[in-house]
Amino acid sequence: MPSLLGNVFKGWADYSKANEDGGHHDYEHMYAMSIDLDKCTGCNACSTACYAENNLAWVGEEKFGARQAMNWMRVERYFDEPDVGEGSPDSLERGASFLPMMCQHCNGAPCEPVCPVAATYHTVDGLNAQIYNRCIGSRYCANNCPIRVRNFNFYDNAPTAWPAPMDQGLNPDISVRSKGVMEKCTFCVQRIRGASDKAKREGRELKDGDIVTACQQTCPTSAIQFGDLLDETSEISKAWKRQQVELGKYEQNKENPEMRGYRVYEELNIDTKVLYLERVREV
Amino acid sequence: MSKTKIDRRNFLKVLGLGTAGAAMAGCDMPSYVTSEEGVEKVYSYLAPEEYVIPGIGVWYASTCQQCPQACGVHGRVREGRVLKLEGNPDTATNAGKICQMGQSAIQAHFHPERIQNPTIGGKDATWDDALALIKEKASNASWVTGAVSGHQRVLMDVSREAAGNGRHYAIEAVNTRAWEDASAATLGDANPNLHIDKARAVLTIGADFLGTWGNPVQAMRDYGNFRNAPRGVLMAIEPAMSMTGANADTWVAARPGSEAAVVLGVGHVLMSKHGVSAAGMPSAASAFSAMNPAKVKDLSGVSEAQLNKIADTLMANSPSLVIANASHAAAHAAQVLNLMLGNVGQTITPGASLAAGAMAPVSGSTKDLVGFAMDANAGKIGAAIITGTNPTFLAPKGLDMSAALSKIGFKVAIADFHDETTKSCDVVLPMSSPLESWGTHVPANGAAPGTVHIQQPLMENVYANTRGLGDILLSVAQGAGAEGLDGFEDYYGYLRTAVSAMIGSDMEGDWNKVLQAGFATAASAPTAFKAGGDVALGFSEPASAGTLTLITSARQGMFDGRHANLPWLQEAPDQINKTVWDTCAELHPATAAKLGVKTGDYVSINTANGAISTRVFTYKGIHPDAVNVPMGRGHTDYGTYAENGVNPLTIMDATSGDRSSTELLSSSIAATVTPTGENRYLVRSMDLAEQHGRKLVATITADQFDRNQGGA
Repeated sequence: MPSLLGNVFKGWADYSKANEDGGHHDYEHMYAMSIDLDKCTGCNACSTACYAENNLAWVGEEKFGARQAMNWMRVERYFDEPDVGEGSPDSLERGASFLPMMCQHCNGAPCEPVCPVAATYHTVDGLNAQIYNRCIGSRYCANNCPIRVRNFNFYDNAPTAWPAPMDQGLNPDISVRSKGVMEKCTFCVQRIRGASDKAKREGRELKDGDIVTACQQTCPTSAIQFGDLLDETSEISKAWKRQQVELGKYEQNKENPEMRGYRVYEELNIDTKVLYLERVREV
Repeated sequence: MSKTKIDRRNFLKVLGLGTAGAAMAGCDMPSYVTSEEGVEKVYSYLAPEEYVIPGIGVWYASTCQQCPQACGVHGRVREGRVLKLEGNPDTATNAGKICQMGQSAIQAHFHPERIQNPTIGGKDATWDDALALIKEKASNASWVTGAVSGHQRVLMDVSREAAGNGRHYAIEAVNTRAWEDASAATLGDANPNLHIDKARAVLTIGADFLGTWGNPVQAMRDYGNFRNAPRGVLMAIEPAMSMTGANADTWVAARPGSEAAVVLGVGHVLMSKHGVSAAGMPSAASAFSAMNPAKVKDLSGVSEAQLNKIADTLMANSPSLVIANASHAAAHAAQVLNLMLGNVGQTITPGASLAAGAMAPVSGSTKDLVGFAMDANAGKIGAAIITGTNPTFLAPKGLDMSAALSKIGFKVAIADFHDETTKSCDVVLPMSSPLESWGTHVPANGAAPGTVHIQQPLMENVYANTRGLGDILLSVAQGAGAEGLDGFEDYYGYLRTAVSAMIGSDMEGDWNKVLQAGFATAASAPTAFKAGGDVALGFSEPASAGTLTLITSARQGMFDGRHANLPWLQEAPDQINKTVWDTCAELHPATAAKLGVKTGDYVSINTANGAISTRVFTYKGIHPDAVNVPMGRGHTDYGTYAENGVNPLTIMDATSGDRSSTELLSSSIAATVTPTGENRYLVRSMDLAEQHGRKLVATITADQFDRNQGGA
């Protein structure tokens, strides 16, 4: 265990490094995801599992229409396919495209520097975290998020969303957010903590596959993968490597441009941590 | 222990084993039961099981009851409450996965609007009074249920038999009936195993296997493997885009009701262009030859080029798989195509049947809905016990279901929620949620041979005065005087004896192993396909081009309407039109332009059976002659969360469709659509249909994918 003095030195070293090298973190983990869009069927199992796992309030039609839904994860559906041509004006010739979209836990997160109270920040796990009891509801972060994946509690949703005895089904591992607080996908941080604690109790290192997010767990086609990019043996780092996508770049120089991996809004240099694998279609 | 001496043959019969000749071990009949161990002692929570640690969830195996597929699940129990369901990794039906409806079982379980007390004539009553009344009045009762299997089915059958052989109507609007009948006729096996993962090409005609057809969770797992390199090709022919169609490489719109003609057209091209032979099936061959591409185009709007593309793809990617549920005629033709293409034996293999046939799944149909309405209207049903289905909601107006129900002298509902049907019942018995009760289920689709899924209570009753379906069935059967059941004090005791007999052991350890696994394996025998034989193929004439036709589709989520009271599913957008909390009428943009409406405009849809009014959603994934209104919403008596939307089923016609079918999902009815002039924003999770130049969903070609082994 490091001494108190050691901690002070380390803290100072980190501070000065961060000053020289903007955004530097000593990461312990770098949790990331990959989603295969060719396997995604758009079924909503992931987004509904997220409601069950993360105590997401349902809000009803009117608030949903006012963009006040609390869905951390949404499945976007598009009918156009720009990469395979215009398509017939009369009929769809292929199916639709589905895109599960949630907080991308950007390493260059535009939401973080604008928070006036530092309620949203990067953890040593590489997560973009939200401290609910520090949040003052300025909504600057949501305004700055190019992917629109932050959900603000405009109302105290709990009484309508969990009328007794529905409240008995709440997940006790995480809180129920109150009015005036911003919330978003946490990469199931309670599952990350739970798995780390379990590994610690069992006196072993966390290993690949210990942490399974709720969406990944339920995905019927197993389109979603999750893991630690700092662990070179993990399936997720192998997948990123295979797809020739690297963190910290806003343009990938792929040796083989036919590899399917890409990140959304890469050109914004937000350094997202969700790798999407391109949809495939017969042409 | 049993209180009375029971005759062995009767005993095996009531356990669902019939003449299966199970090895009976001892016949200890355990009585009451805690949710965990089945022991009589009640422990204080201060001294819990050693593995129960406050703050740490323990996972118990059970079976999902959100749709008839009965997937195995694990439920996370913490501090005595069940909090989350996940798929059981060891059940072949779903291998660790569940769908959004399964995820929402928790919400149904803790629902504030569940029925809490028995009622007689709408007034609270005691269980004793209600059961006594049933004993007195429900003689010769017919059973009206959804799909059932396992020991619940056994008890229903012994009840029926003891009470004078009333009929059993199994009603499911979302079903695989057309395919089952076609498979039975062509292969001699109504439920063959399908191997989507082994097919190189899959053609579906109105079978939404990724959404609501068969077991979609299992199909999706196979579909995931199907998409690995070398990548399989998926093609869909349907009037309006389903979830399966939304994932297809080739999607073809067919005029509603013309699907069978298109399948025949595919057969025509396979024979004429590719020389595929229909040897030994002369009448099928002549049906194929008669359906030339010009005729297909005329009937369905599907062009010769599209037919060629489908036939070419099937030829180039063998083995393939053709699945159809659009109509009986389409399903028959599809199975003949499978025979011609050599798929039978490769992507379609024989299923298995339980030796204990009394537990086998009874799949439901709309046909039984029609049969029930007609028999009741004819005064043939004196008493009815209704559970697991909502005939009043499902029945089109033409069936006159409320009149039919009023002609039944005595009606009992066993239900967890009040709905349109329970409202008209004399006695309503409050059912515990599936997460509070015992049961066994034999999955109809995709299970390993002989698998019987065990439904285990995951917590104590949320509402103290409810009883498990099995317990109620046992009381009703005992009341009806079924022999051999006297010794059982509760359903747990019955089930434990029955399962012990089934697995040939009554050891505590073996029972615990079954509970831990979530399933038991009973004796079963593989079925065999029959050898060849000619099949007569037909098709129905759809409405002529340019006439609007109303169709309905089932989407995962609302399903047949049973989940409309679950806010999570109301707020989970429709997969295709992305609407939440409301019904919309899907129209082709060209049709909408002709009518002068756009997304969000109200229209009135009129058929011979009445009118509904709802908002329009336009997209190109629908045939211009079709107006598609997904089913499931528009309840009148299903609680506060289910009030939105309209119910298209009321104005459909369950007696139309092709010659031999009355299935609601196959039916179509001529409709006129008129704008009402009103407009309101249609609330969707996606207003956009296009990506507007952003690289959100990028696409590469299958050639590129296969060239790189899919990036593996």
